[in-house]
Amino acid sequence: MIVAERKPLEAIKQMIAEYKKILVVGCGTCVTVCWAGGEKEVAVLSSQLRLASRKDGNELVTSEATIERQCERELVEGLKDEVKRVEAVLSLGCGAGVQTIAEIFQEIPVYPALNTKFVGMPQGEGVWVETCAACGDCFLDKTGGICPIVRCAKGLLNGPCGGTNNGKCEVDPEKDCAWTLIYQRLKAQGRLDLMRKYYPRRNFQAVTRPGKIEALQA
Amino acid sequence: MDNSLRLGVFLCDCGNTMSKTIDFSAIKAKLERLDDIEYVAISHDLCLIKAQEAMQKDIRDRGINRVVVAACSPELHEHTFMNVLQRAGVNPHLLSMANIREQCFWTHPHKEKAAEKAMVQIVLAINRARLLEPVEKAEIPVNQDVLIVGGGIVGTEAAIELSHLNLKTTLIEKEAALGGKLNLFASLYPLQITPEEVLASKLKQVTESPNIDVLTSAELIDVRGQAGNFVARIKRGDEEFVRNFGAVILATGYDAQFASQLYGFETSTSIVTLSQLEEMLKSPAEIKKIPRNVGFITDVSDEHSRISTLSALRNALGVKEKFGSEVCILCKNLKVDGAGLEKLYHDCRNRGVIFLKFDKPPKISEEDGEIHIQVEDVLMPGEQMALSCDLLVVEEMVIPPSDSETLRSILDIGLDPQGFYQDNNIHLYPTFSNREGIFFAGNCHADLDLIRALTEASNVALSAYRLLAQGRVTIEAENVMIDPSKCRFCLTCIRACPHNAIREVQVDHEKRVAQIVDLACQGCGICTAVCPAKAIRFKDWSDDQILAELELVGAYL
Amino acid sequence: MNTEGAFLPDIVAFCCAHSAYPAADSAGYLRIPYPENIRVIRVPCAGRVDVLHILKAFEKGADGILVLGCHEEACRHISGNIRAKSRVQKANTLLEESGIDGERVEMLTLAQNQGPKFAQIASEMNERIKGLGPSPVKPRV
Repeated sequence: MIVAERKPLEAIKQMIAEYKKILVVGCGTCVTVCWAGGEKEVAVLSSQLRLASRKDGNELVTSEATIERQCERELVEGLKDEVKRVEAVLSLGCGAGVQTIAEIFQEIPVYPALNTKFVGMPQGEGVWVETCAACGDCFLDKTGGICPIVRCAKGLLNGPCGGTNNGKCEVDPEKDCAWTLIYQRLKAQGRLDLMRKYYPRRNFQAVTRPGKIEALQA
Repeated sequence: MDNSLRLGVFLCDCGNTMSKTIDFSAIKAKLERLDDIEYVAISHDLCLIKAQEAMQKDIRDRGINRVVVAACSPELHEHTFMNVLQRAGVNPHLLSMANIREQCFWTHPHKEKAAEKAMVQIVLAINRARLLEPVEKAEIPVNQDVLIVGGGIVGTEAAIELSHLNLKTTLIEKEAALGGKLNLFASLYPLQITPEEVLASKLKQVTESPNIDVLTSAELIDVRGQAGNFVARIKRGDEEFVRNFGAVILATGYDAQFASQLYGFETSTSIVTLSQLEEMLKSPAEIKKIPRNVGFITDVSDEHSRISTLSALRNALGVKEKFGSEVCILCKNLKVDGAGLEKLYHDCRNRGVIFLKFDKPPKISEEDGEIHIQVEDVLMPGEQMALSCDLLVVEEMVIPPSDSETLRSILDIGLDPQGFYQDNNIHLYPTFSNREGIFFAGNCHADLDLIRALTEASNVALSAYRLLAQGRVTIEAENVMIDPSKCRFCLTCIRACPHNAIREVQVDHEKRVAQIVDLACQGCGICTAVCPAKAIRFKDWSDDQILAELELVGAYL
Repeated sequence: MNTEGAFLPDIVAFCCAHSAYPAADSAGYLRIPYPENIRVIRVPCAGRVDVLHILKAFEKGADGILVLGCHEEACRHISGNIRAKSRVQKANTLLEESGIDGERVEMLTLAQNQGPKFAQIASEMNERIKGLGPSPVKPRV
């Protein structure tokens, strides 16, 4: 899922400094699961902003709403009445969510409270790690399910570099060498033949930005 | 504000003591001015039956549906007043209490401040009362079968007890035969009965009972579900099968290990462990040379174990009986606080066993099959004694059974710092785990002699019986509740619940959400606080109730 | 504020039903006085207390907050006290971000029978908050 992290309060405060009434919107999908922008985080951030505002001698008024998915037009349109009553919207969605709200409600400033970081998965309570770079040309069939684009510091496609050091990476000794992991995984599955092939360099234009997919009618 | 709320406030001045400081009439007058306060009463002794009967009548007659009691601590009388509500036809969860005695009158000597604080406490309790919700009871069916893991004497005894109580058990044992450690013991001193006799008797009862299914050479590989509905996967040889149980009892015993690193030597023909000695004592005819002098050494690797002491004393007596050797026991502390241990010690003394207490561990060396010991007896400080024996018996450390980590993980229970199963509370609930419906008996969780271990077998049998006997259990229904429309199935609550009381369920034919299992829930509220989607509501301790108690901050003095 | 004008802190103590709440009762049984301006809120476990409760308490005018639970490794609910501790740490950070001194919130542990300790904790917190002064975000009355 998409993993995001809240911006420092100071940065958010500056964004909404001039406003007296804002709507704080949460998203019930990825950012809820990674504890960044769900209903709870909306309540926490709103409370912090009210406290900070009062400290500065102002009385910021916040309203709160959380919708199932911020990247969905119909769901965002449901915020119509609340948006009418405020001067700005502070979104705790990922970048896609912020932009959807901004596009539906073009007349009002929409601000991002989160930094969208990566596509990843949980690794223990409260810890999320990046596992997918959304590169558009998935290589996982050749590496036993371990992504060298994300996990190899050099993004190599054809085995480890000369600096692989007892399973650790020479660029970042804290990191595991992705190719050592790939080797071990393929060995356990009896598929080392995959590593004996040569793969040409990646097509970095597999995803042109902004990416677009058109599916045929369902 | 809900217009159908009719609040009744019952003030108690604790036998007229609190009215010296707090003006209850003034408080009553202030409260009666509030819109939804239907009735305010002052009593001197709400803890007495007569006053409770009056309270019950007031509640009924005036149609009161939310009750506030300002009196002593809820720790003392919450249940008393919940019963009054129940008898008055009001859901017992619609009670809010203000602790104006222990946490106000008794601890704040300044009269005016105490009175003002009491008023604030009462108003906050009223705030809370307005937000209370009824919690109904429900009956849920439970599976009445019990899984017992471990076919030693304790597990076997628990199965027998349960079968007498007409509950069916499945007894699984990883070895090929039942009996556990009793198969290895040479004696059961101070009991005069032999281990063989005990086992034969127990096995007969087990085989003859239609209620006990024994699975030897079997192991538990997975358990899902919660109390009343555990789903266990068992492996036996090549076969794997699934069975349902209402409760699980762990009776996996202990392992014994010689701490050779600590002693600085390994075992040999002349240095044996207590377990090895028991083997010798079981078949004395096979011994080539009967030892003339046998030395025992304990309390070097573990000063605290009863089992160690018991084993040393028991086998010392066994050596006397079967070999007739001279016996000397070198010990630091002789822990005789188990059943019959003091007597066993005296029996040993009477049979001529010599006891020698040391403080510093003895120096031990072996030469030509003869063991030489240099030790300082605490009764003769400064003097080194030299002893020799042809057989030295060393103690073993009592360690958790080898499968304790595996079972811990399968059952999601805790281990204590030594690796044995962690009791829910070592003093109050020693045979209970952190999970409803999972119990421990015997040495897998505590340091017990045989009599105590057997008592625990009865204990857990009764605990399982109490839970499952009726086939139905009354629970509080949905005191903690997850809203399936808000749940994102992020698994946070399932992972965070310390009692493994949250399961996944399917709603709308495809969506999975988390659901609280009422029977297993122990009401801590951790899930409620941790849910990132605010999808969990705890009726007795909701967020809005807590926030209502934060009102009026600033209205103090 | 009391009538003489000196600052009397509004301190809220979230007390776990297994430890701090009965400890507060115990202080009562022993007639050990502690400041009247400490208000006790009973919770089933320190782990019930959320960061949001702490922030909202300050919005409502609290000057200081105590979260009191069982000693390490003695939590009836295994991890409640540990979670409470880490949440209070998070609350410290969030409060500092908002311009409020993180010293105004603290999590401490005690047992059921530690009545004197409860009174001591209450008194010490009172002194600390007196030193820090009223919360900079107290709502204007």
